[in-house]
Amino acid sequence: MTSSAVDTRTTPTHCPYCALQCGISLDPGPGAEAREPVLLAGRDFETNGGALCRKGYSAANLLNHPERLGSPLRRTADGGFAPVGWDEALELLAQRAASIRREHGADAVAVFGAGGLTNEKAYQLGKFARLALGTSRIDYNGRFCMSSAAAAGNRAFGLDRGLPFPLADLDSASMILMLGSNVAETMPPFVRHLEHARACGGLIVVDPRRSPTAELCADGSGWHLQPTPGTDLQLLLGLAHVLLAENMVDDHYLAKRTYGLAGLRASVGAWWPERVAATTGVPAAEIRRTARALGAAASAAKTGGGGVFILTGRGVEQHTNGTDTTTAAINIALLLGLPGTPGGGFGTITGQGNGQGGREHGQKADQLPGYRKITDPAHRKHVAGVWGVDPATIPGPGIPATELLHTLGTASGARMLLVHGSNPVLSSPDAAQVLAGIRRLDFLVVCDFFLSETAAEADLVLPVLQWAEEEGTMTNLEGRVLRRRAALRAPEGARGELWIMAELAKRLESPGTFSADAREVFEELRLASAGGLADYSGVDWDDLDAGAAVYWPCSTDHAVSRIPGQRSGTPRLFLDGFAHPDARARLVPVYAGASGEELHSEGQLALVTGRLLEHYQTGTQTRRVAELAAAAPEARLEIHPATARSRGIAEGQRVAVRNRRGEVVARAALSTSARLDTVFLPFHFAGNQNANLLTAARVDPISAMPGFKNASVSLHPLGEAS
Amino acid sequence: MSQMFRERIVVIGFGPVAAALIEGLLPGLAAGLFALDVVSAEEHAAYNRVLLAEVAAGATPAGHLGMIDPLRLAAAGVGLHLGESATRVDRSRRLVFLDSGRTLAYDRLVFATGARPVVPTLNGLDFAPHAEANLPAGVMALRTLEDAAALSRVLVSGGRVLVLGGGILGIEAALAMAEAGHRPVLVHHGPVPLGRAVDPDGGMLLARCLRASGVEVVSGVRATAVRRDSAGFTALATEDHGEIAGDALLLSCGVRARTELAAGCGLKVGSGIQTNEHLVADTENRVFALGDCAEVAGAAPAGLLAPGWAQAGWLADFLLKHRAPAPDAPSRPLDPGTEAPAQGASNVLMLKGQGMELVVAGNVMAGPWDGGRARVSVFADPQAGQYLKLVTEDEVLTGFLAIGLPRAGAELVLAFERGSTLPQDRSTLLRLDDPGIPGSLAAARADDQLCRCTGATHGQVARAVEEGCDTVAEVGTACRAGTGCGGCRGKIEAMLRVSVPA
Repeated sequence: MTSSAVDTRTTPTHCPYCALQCGISLDPGPGAEAREPVLLAGRDFETNGGALCRKGYSAANLLNHPERLGSPLRRTADGGFAPVGWDEALELLAQRAASIRREHGADAVAVFGAGGLTNEKAYQLGKFARLALGTSRIDYNGRFCMSSAAAAGNRAFGLDRGLPFPLADLDSASMILMLGSNVAETMPPFVRHLEHARACGGLIVVDPRRSPTAELCADGSGWHLQPTPGTDLQLLLGLAHVLLAENMVDDHYLAKRTYGLAGLRASVGAWWPERVAATTGVPAAEIRRTARALGAAASAAKTGGGGVFILTGRGVEQHTNGTDTTTAAINIALLLGLPGTPGGGFGTITGQGNGQGGREHGQKADQLPGYRKITDPAHRKHVAGVWGVDPATIPGPGIPATELLHTLGTASGARMLLVHGSNPVLSSPDAAQVLAGIRRLDFLVVCDFFLSETAAEADLVLPVLQWAEEEGTMTNLEGRVLRRRAALRAPEGARGELWIMAELAKRLESPGTFSADAREVFEELRLASAGGLADYSGVDWDDLDAGAAVYWPCSTDHAVSRIPGQRSGTPRLFLDGFAHPDARARLVPVYAGASGEELHSEGQLALVTGRLLEHYQTGTQTRRVAELAAAAPEARLEIHPATARSRGIAEGQRVAVRNRRGEVVARAALSTSARLDTVFLPFHFAGNQNANLLTAARVDPISAMPGFKNASVSLHPLGEAS
Repeated sequence: MSQMFRERIVVIGFGPVAAALIEGLLPGLAAGLFALDVVSAEEHAAYNRVLLAEVAAGATPAGHLGMIDPLRLAAAGVGLHLGESATRVDRSRRLVFLDSGRTLAYDRLVFATGARPVVPTLNGLDFAPHAEANLPAGVMALRTLEDAAALSRVLVSGGRVLVLGGGILGIEAALAMAEAGHRPVLVHHGPVPLGRAVDPDGGMLLARCLRASGVEVVSGVRATAVRRDSAGFTALATEDHGEIAGDALLLSCGVRARTELAAGCGLKVGSGIQTNEHLVADTENRVFALGDCAEVAGAAPAGLLAPGWAQAGWLADFLLKHRAPAPDAPSRPLDPGTEAPAQGASNVLMLKGQGMELVVAGNVMAGPWDGGRARVSVFADPQAGQYLKLVTEDEVLTGFLAIGLPRAGAELVLAFERGSTLPQDRSTLLRLDDPGIPGSLAAARADDQLCRCTGATHGQVARAVEEGCDTVAEVGTACRAGTGCGGCRGKIEAMLRVSVPA
């Protein structure tokens, strides 16, 4: 029996956290009562091979957690919360939505979704916003995550799928260039896919920190480039420069499969290695060495050698030039002749659990299901047909997340907000301003299973289901569609979000139909996505249940196999051409302008933010797992010992980290992994430990990604070391 | 009326600095704010002179030097006049005359005429300062693609090339030739190469490194004449080193601003076309100069790209934001608050040569025992090819020299340009180049995490081993260690080996 087949004693499903969607099995079997203990084990699935990280191992601890919300909560006159029944809660919500819409227009009600929602919830949320609320104002936290990579992928390839190849293709790679990604902490079982490249000495990590992933380069496994923050683009222009200067590009591929070489050539002419070194802090010899190694490995890959892959993460994408930086990485992959060939490729490592599916089916301000454009009349017509409405009923494009959140309660902003699966009070840039906006709202509704920092601000909190209590599909970082299965019956008092939307739609007399059943919604999603770039029309629920490995696009023309080890749909994109009408990829010249706010003025340090192994996102879940909270109880400021010493900061000392936006207080953790000019804060913590009190709301002009990785701060030691 | 007026901007020169200016002006051109004409004596659009030595040595194709796509400019509506020289500017009528017979009218004019190589005062050379070099066969500078082609012909035929001049460009040219397997001779006066920028100890190490890289170095030379036969250059005559034979002489004796066109139309000229801090060369705010041809606010041209690019970015922005006076309008002074481009841009020299890492910035002539305000720190290991000198005043870096310490050198450039303070323990900078910085040298304690992914500790793994686990998999079953990313499997294996008697 294969491990993915249904076992009646245990439930095969996937980890609730990141986009690796590690296979796990839960004991009890499907549909049991919640009980203690729920047993969770790693399951032999392709992305994780049975391995899990500490977050995954402890994920079941949250199912019966004492802080789990057990009924809707309504804000009381004295500022507290009172439990209310579902009828009262839904009636109140519908009334407020209707009256605010009547008084201020439909766009006064906004929706904020998440990359953690199942495909069905993400799809139905977009439909709910446009039809039941009639608002254009929907966007989601994936704007803070995948938007730059998506914009760059669309621009270059005509299509954005995080990894356009199965993750297992990395297993035989000879060289992997990882830019701004720390998988050893963010998705540890990913590291097994780097092993072959490491054995070849070919793991190259670019990160301003010597992160645990960068440490994987030690001992001849590869090398680490440690640029100063905000200079990733220049580093990539330098690599492209050397590839072109030393004729290490694939001329045949460039001529046949791309456009724009002349413009690209001119755009990198000015970035010779010594100039790049003087900008980035990465020695010129390392730049040459890296480019030459990539050139040699790519050339070998075409004559039977292991593949060469270039992967980006949020470290290079979360900048106000994140789209251009990702484009520069794609340009290198194209110069080497990799994308759309068996010899390797370019990919971006999606972060959130359904960060891929969540960005395809209509949660984005400018998008309809199947990666359709909300501004395209033909696209609107198709979706309206599936929804059974007049295309004119569907509002036009809304506004992206940062703008949506930072205008809340202002003259141009929304007055009511519905939040699903997200905690923007902590996760938004310049978080203090977002909190102020949240507090200006007439009415805030938060769907969550814990009282997150955002839920704590709400007028109405609706308790929803956790991963092990719901059915649905998720699309992982490689574009493979997976089944999330219910192992437990829902606890008394909590409801699924599909049911909530269906009930509200009735009360709001919405056009269209809204189902509370995940499979029914999935069937509708298939139709809505049919013919779109992210075509799910040939993805069959029963095939998924049987363990079929299905990658989108998968139209009804694709034959789907259930045989273990076989892949269906489109496991590898672009083999026959890119998604532009002429099938060619675009080499888009990009230029190094300002990457965000001015860094390194006198006395200032650059702040980069990121993740710890023990926590996920804003920690709403993981800070409630005793084992994880004990291992990483608070935000620590990672700082180089020499930098600390010159500021009179000792190990463990409390430090105020300040800029004009706010102040974070954290204990210093001295580490030579930090650059001398840079400090690091994790973003999982609340209150005065929230790193996003310091990040800026300025966004990338193309993707609307905020420049999270680009804040200037000063340090002020407080009190005594502990 | 003034709203209808469409300005005409003419740029004379099309080097890298002009290219950056034009790039910055494209949005204004697209918006219809002005018409833009570019005049260049060279046939080629702007290209990267920094790489000419690589082209000559055959390491880089000439086509790679382009810095701007002329087809794109033409499509954007830029009037490109390549291979046409400006012969005269009439400022009263605001006209530029070209040798092709064409005349261009302007409302604002930018001189980006750059610099030409200095021809040293040697017998046998025509060293007229304000003419394009008229050099005999076998003697060349390295300023244009044609120069690179000429040098390349010598190298291909196996010729021995003398490089005259110990400045950064001469050294880089020699290194590029050596890298390609040739045996160039660097001939310079002064005791060490790059003697104006580096201190004597650093210069000694530089000379040694150059020799190790395959460059013959002849120091302390006073050259007097060029010897020729019917085929061209044969030797360089010197006062104290006799005649140094060679097949070609590459002049690397600095550059001189190209100012004669500006001087001819009555603009003030010193070491370059004289401008105020806002790059304005006339009294009407209509004529500007920048880059290697400009003496900005009394400062001689730096001869480096970075300051020119900074000026180009500023000027493009200025021209976009501040409209020209209408053709008949009287001149207006600039708004008093108008910000000027950054002055005194960095004087960082990073030697472009492979296997030879040298970067110097600021003034490094002070010695560690000189006293005074400067704190001077020195590390030298000539055998290892390493040298580091740091000069700080009030904790701010005012000069440094790093040889053979690439990471320290690159980081110090950042610190120098930012005016950052350095670590109090200066030796921290040396450790940046240590490839094997250990995480922790202390022995692990039982509570220390062994497996990051699962949080399993050394103590838990030790217990699992004590209790009879024989394989990594068994240890994983017992305490989960090694079942995440797998990165700690080596450590677990080591603990298993220790526990099993051989």
